[in-house]
Amino acid sequence: MYYKLIKNDFQKSKAVTLTTVFFVAAAAMLVSLAMILVINLTGSIDSLMAKAKTPHFMQMHTGELDLERLDAFAGGNEQIEEFQVLEFLNLEGSQIILAGSSLAASLQDNGISRQSEKFDYLLDLDDKIITAVDGELYVPISYMRDGSAQVGDRAQIGGKDFTVAGFLRDSQMNSTLSSSKRFLVSENDFEDLRALGSIEYLIEFRLYDLSALGAFESAYNAAGLESNGPTITYPLFRMINSISDGMMIAVILLVSILVVLIAFVCIRFTLLAKIEDDYREIGVMKAIGLRLADIKKIYLAKYAAIALIGAVIGYAFSFPFKDLLLVNIRLYMGESDSAALAPLFGALGVVIVVLAIIIYVNGVLKRFRTISAAEAIRFGMAQEKSITSKRMLLSENRLFNPNIFLGIKDVFARKSLYATMLVVVVLSAFIMIVPQNLYNTISSKNFITYMGIGRCDLRIDIQQTDNIAGKTAEVAKAIEKDGDIARYALLTTKTYVVLMKDGSTERLKIEIGDHSQFPLEYTEGRAPVAEDEVALSAINARELNKATGDTLTLLVKDKEKTFTLSGIYSDVTNGGKTAKAAFADDTAETMWSIINLDLVDNSMVASKAQVYQDSFGFAKVSAIDEYVLQTFGSTISSVKMAAYASAAIALFICALVTLLFMKMLVAKDRYSIAVMKAFGYTIQDIRIQFASRSVLVLLVGTVIGTALANTLGQTLAGQGIAYLGASAFSFTINPVLSYLLSPLLVLSFVMIATVAGTAGLGKIKISENIKE
Amino acid sequence: MKKILIAENIIKSFGVGSEKRNVLDGVSVEVNEGEFVAVMGPSGSGKTTLIFALSGMDNIDSGRVIVDNQDISTLSEKEMADLRRIKMGFVFQQPTMLKNLNILDNIVLPSMRDIRKKGSEISANAKTLMGKVGIAELEKRDIAQVSGGQLQRAGICRALINSPKIVFGDEPTGSLNSKTSQEIMEIFSELNREGITIMFVTHDATVAAQTERILFMIDGKIVSEVQLPKFNGSELEDRIEKVRGEMRKVGI
Repeated sequence: MYYKLIKNDFQKSKAVTLTTVFFVAAAAMLVSLAMILVINLTGSIDSLMAKAKTPHFMQMHTGELDLERLDAFAGGNEQIEEFQVLEFLNLEGSQIILAGSSLAASLQDNGISRQSEKFDYLLDLDDKIITAVDGELYVPISYMRDGSAQVGDRAQIGGKDFTVAGFLRDSQMNSTLSSSKRFLVSENDFEDLRALGSIEYLIEFRLYDLSALGAFESAYNAAGLESNGPTITYPLFRMINSISDGMMIAVILLVSILVVLIAFVCIRFTLLAKIEDDYREIGVMKAIGLRLADIKKIYLAKYAAIALIGAVIGYAFSFPFKDLLLVNIRLYMGESDSAALAPLFGALGVVIVVLAIIIYVNGVLKRFRTISAAEAIRFGMAQEKSITSKRMLLSENRLFNPNIFLGIKDVFARKSLYATMLVVVVLSAFIMIVPQNLYNTISSKNFITYMGIGRCDLRIDIQQTDNIAGKTAEVAKAIEKDGDIARYALLTTKTYVVLMKDGSTERLKIEIGDHSQFPLEYTEGRAPVAEDEVALSAINARELNKATGDTLTLLVKDKEKTFTLSGIYSDVTNGGKTAKAAFADDTAETMWSIINLDLVDNSMVASKAQVYQDSFGFAKVSAIDEYVLQTFGSTISSVKMAAYASAAIALFICALVTLLFMKMLVAKDRYSIAVMKAFGYTIQDIRIQFASRSVLVLLVGTVIGTALANTLGQTLAGQGIAYLGASAFSFTINPVLSYLLSPLLVLSFVMIATVAGTAGLGKIKISENIKE
Repeated sequence: MKKILIAENIIKSFGVGSEKRNVLDGVSVEVNEGEFVAVMGPSGSGKTTLIFALSGMDNIDSGRVIVDNQDISTLSEKEMADLRRIKMGFVFQQPTMLKNLNILDNIVLPSMRDIRKKGSEISANAKTLMGKVGIAELEKRDIAQVSGGQLQRAGICRALINSPKIVFGDEPTGSLNSKTSQEIMEIFSELNREGITIMFVTHDATVAAQTERILFMIDGKIVSEVQLPKFNGSELEDRIEKVRGEMRKVGI
């Protein structure tokens, strides 16, 4: 019997049923996709990091290495399972030539290494540990992705010939967000090339128990061991590996939550309209003694059928999309061990969606209880409460055209009805504006200041070489004489010992110089200006447990000196652990220096970068835009894609729901429409009334949606950005796009949908709708 | 005497194929300016359909309807709406009020469409009409807060708000008790005496007896009519008897 009832009902309301099925399918597809991607991503990362045996703790170091002391430390620490020191030979990009073109333009720190013996293996695309023979070169996978090299290509490193034998997955440095890239060569080739570049040591540990990592880190620091370079730990490796695809999944999840919400709104609306239509029948069923549960079952059966059909379609569609979105994950991270489980989890997600719908429908059907059999049979419709407003009187309206007035009045008189459409508009505006603002923000020139990088035209890095201080001075001298340079700031990073209150010590890398020239975005406080001020990165401030205004004791020139914390900033460079100060100190050894500079004419950026690169081969000169593009480029372009896709989705949803809503409103208001017509209102008049309703709802919805996007949306996006390392965050808004173009687009879609949705007005006959 | 309404041989059918049936089967009727006409007939005789066709609320299959010298079948939807709003009034059996407007707003609704008119004048006019039909104190009330008779009076005010040439009614007293019904008829008679043309459907001989011409319909045709002098409040019993006699004669 249910089957027959459901079938009849479907045939009577095809458009509405199809739309609901569509939304359920979309929701099911997105939820399933998100689940499948999450399982694959985490599984792939886990299996890659397990197969490669990624180090739990790694200290990069340039300069002298005291292997005996390290051995002694490793031998004396019970937490250490394995310990090794790898050599990474840093090369100039120009020394690496793949298929005829050099990597000179690459901002990555490219270098070669040998396969390690104990752990931190470099794997091939089948996740096997690579053994390179002489003359073979294995290339990081990102160069396959961008088409720089193919298997079998000729390659040259420092003039020595190689053949590209394959590509490698590097569990540490796969991501473009990680600044170094390891090429793999044989033992002999490595020794031959050793003189070409500078050696950087990777001091790596694996622990028995990863949870002891914090304690181990302190022990390592306390022992005063090699630390001239960034420290990276297992969780950070994991995070770097998951960021790009994680962002994509987060966007899909966000959109799927919104689509589920819209599916709910749709169901609620169609269900209430249906109940209203069937009001008399429900009353009769009640009157002849059918139990409430029996009546509910009929409706529940219909929506369960819709949910199931939608779910099956959505789940099926998630498979082709899945393969598309998994390409990247598979390429970089390899197949996940739990890949077979993923569809199961996808199905689980879909089942949850279906259950949620059924529970929701059941909740909406509670209103059956309030239907009085007598009232239903006598009036055939719910007796709406007296809803005329005392203030909005047609007879006193002098402001608006009467049609616009009647439209507006109707919205205020039936707020709960229009709330449905309002919710959709709010959500649509939200989905439209948040990714757009996010894209605008991360593609804006100032975004890097959230990342610990000052906004400048050019940046010159001098590191991994000897006599850094001398070479820096040499560059600075040239800049001083260069009339094309508007201003510059020289920042030198040195290591200092922090004396903690409990008597222990920590090491802190402090960047010294004038921080007012190319300022960062400070989460709290400001840049250090006075001699006794210091600023900490967010991670350091947390680890040292300091807030702005607190004091910090450092050993400077072998003397204890107290500093005041002037501010805290977010940073993603150097593992996020940095500090800044303005005092002068020429005694401590310089670890690296950076010169930020602005040109008088910034069209000269590229040529100037070339000039400095040519004259100072030891330095790495990069145009900041190029630097940002190479570091965040892929993230920016995926957010851009997401922004466009969300805008399209939002417009589509908005138009579809408006269309549906208007169609239903026309059906619901047949009687009022007939009365209006009987008393001389034209179809055009009534259409204007309907359009006024949509426009009012739209305006209110857009305002609320925009406000929400800029508050809640900003917080949400901030969480995502925090994941990238920046903590303080506010949207950079393009007002024309956000406040003018987007609402106008929504407005035109809603208007078109309103006109289409009210096309049925002409068919409403007075004689059929005013019953006598 | 000027003819305000002329209908010539109007045919309207419902249903399709073998089910097709002429509800109006070649009806012709003329109404003079200032006349008070009632249409009577059994259920399904087509009297309501006739009123809807004459007032342009329903399309006809063939024939002509001319209201105040305008052939309504040639009018566009917009022109028809204008005609209905400006030259016609309509009183339904049920009050047919918009729920979210109060009494006064429902009354001024047809008038507000015309922006040329001043809002204050319209309201004043509505209040005068309300005073005339005895509901002056109800202007701020919601439609759910007043009785059926009061709503019907409001409906009459709405029909009159644009000073129409002719007022149509479809059983305007049909859902009222006899006392209220009589009060409404007194209002109609008064309006007619003031010169407004009125034509309505009724099944109540007492109501019909207070008009001056009664048309009898059976199976989509006007089969006979009774002419009476204008009602001045006297000899109601005789008039009723005349109507009843004709009803018996045509078999209603």
